[in-house]
Amino acid sequence: MSLVCDNIVFTYPGATYPLFTDVSFQLTAPGFHSFFGPSGVGKTSLAKIITGDIDSHSGRISTEGLKTLLYSHNKERLPGWSGAGRHLKRVIQPSMHAALVELVEIFGLSDCIDSRFDQLSMGQQNRVNLIRYLLQDCDLLIMDESLANVDEPTREKIILAIKAMFPQRFFIYISHNVIEVAKFCESILVFRSGTKEPQTVMINGCNIRSREELSSAALDATLLEIMNAA
Amino acid sequence: MLPRRVFQFFIIYFMFIGGLMVLKYSLELSDYVIPAPSGMFHIFLAEYRRYSLATINTMTVAVIGQILSVIMAFAIGITGRQSTWLGSFIKVAAYNIQAYPIVALAPILFILLGDGFLTRLLIAAMICYFPVLLSVLGIMSKPIDDIEHFYRATGRMRWQLEVKIRTFENLSQLTTVIAGSATLAMAGTIVGEFIAANAGIGYSIRIALYQSDLGKILIALFMIGITIAIYQALLELLGAVIKRAWTGR
Repeated sequence: MSLVCDNIVFTYPGATYPLFTDVSFQLTAPGFHSFFGPSGVGKTSLAKIITGDIDSHSGRISTEGLKTLLYSHNKERLPGWSGAGRHLKRVIQPSMHAALVELVEIFGLSDCIDSRFDQLSMGQQNRVNLIRYLLQDCDLLIMDESLANVDEPTREKIILAIKAMFPQRFFIYISHNVIEVAKFCESILVFRSGTKEPQTVMINGCNIRSREELSSAALDATLLEIMNAA
Repeated sequence: MLPRRVFQFFIIYFMFIGGLMVLKYSLELSDYVIPAPSGMFHIFLAEYRRYSLATINTMTVAVIGQILSVIMAFAIGITGRQSTWLGSFIKVAAYNIQAYPIVALAPILFILLGDGFLTRLLIAAMICYFPVLLSVLGIMSKPIDDIEHFYRATGRMRWQLEVKIRTFENLSQLTTVIAGSATLAMAGTIVGEFIAANAGIGYSIRIALYQSDLGKILIALFMIGITIAIYQALLELLGAVIKRAWTGR
């Protein structure tokens, strides 16, 4: 299984200049990967190109062995006519119900899972939305700011749980939190601002897992590499 | 909701009557042109039973016509929401036909169907149908991307779910449109009765008009106003009950 993007060029309809040109990278192993960079550089657009939500691009995308690719983002809502838990049960295969209970517990949603979506806080809403995507049968899940408005200890707990529960799945995590991507991601595609060439650089992250210790020197080195690239 | 609606109607109605009285006494108009308040009260006592029954008759036609038009508008609106050629055809046809004054077609219906119940019903339904259809088409054609994305991406989207999501998200707007269309249905029925029908409050107004009896017309307007105020308030109440049951708020 691999995701290969080769010379991707994308221009917004009606725009004079392309948003990005010659974006090339490959992800050859499942795990946590990341798109990192300032706002407006094209992280979301590239994510939507990969999942096929945007098709007006040039370049080659190869998704060998990846049958289902999903894109989730933090602005999504669940319908409001019943509780979040009931919605989740309806869109999740019965075989995944045990995993649902586990994730609800890990994500810190046990007390509010029966509330309607609009009665939840923004962080709770994002976590509920992420759970329903995680429990779909997919090979690659793009998480665009999916843990926005969630406190840091809970985010860390959630990311480590996802890595442990879905080791065979590709994740692309879009975030503006440089420490988080450096710490948890295996590879980080850094989108560079301005007119720097090439427009993207792939950097290896620390990729820590549950119960692993991370040395501050390794984290500092990765952070430095990301900041230099950006 | 109901007392407020009725109270608002009373304020408007009696302001209107007050304006007529100012006109009558400032221009020294005779009771034949604008009857005095005492004369109007006597007309009310003499006619309220007959006019109440006529208003209920008209209201019944209007309510059935409105229900028919709302059902049709939802059926056509749901079909026309899609980006297919049929959907585009329905939208274009609806926008063009609604620009035509439907009431002008009323004489054709009276010629073809006579002056009975069915003709009045058709006119009422046609007059309130197009505004409701345009609203339903507008609501049903507009995707709620932040909710629908998941169902599309995972292949779970069905037309029933799509309609449910869009209805739920626009419930307040739909309630307002349906409550507002009650007035249109009532207006349509009355206009039909003006033209050629043989029953209803519009028919009574037509007779009063031929007799140049402003008092009777004002009493008929009072009956129409109070009935439509109560009906709209009941529709709004029903909308609020549905909303509370569905949204939990």
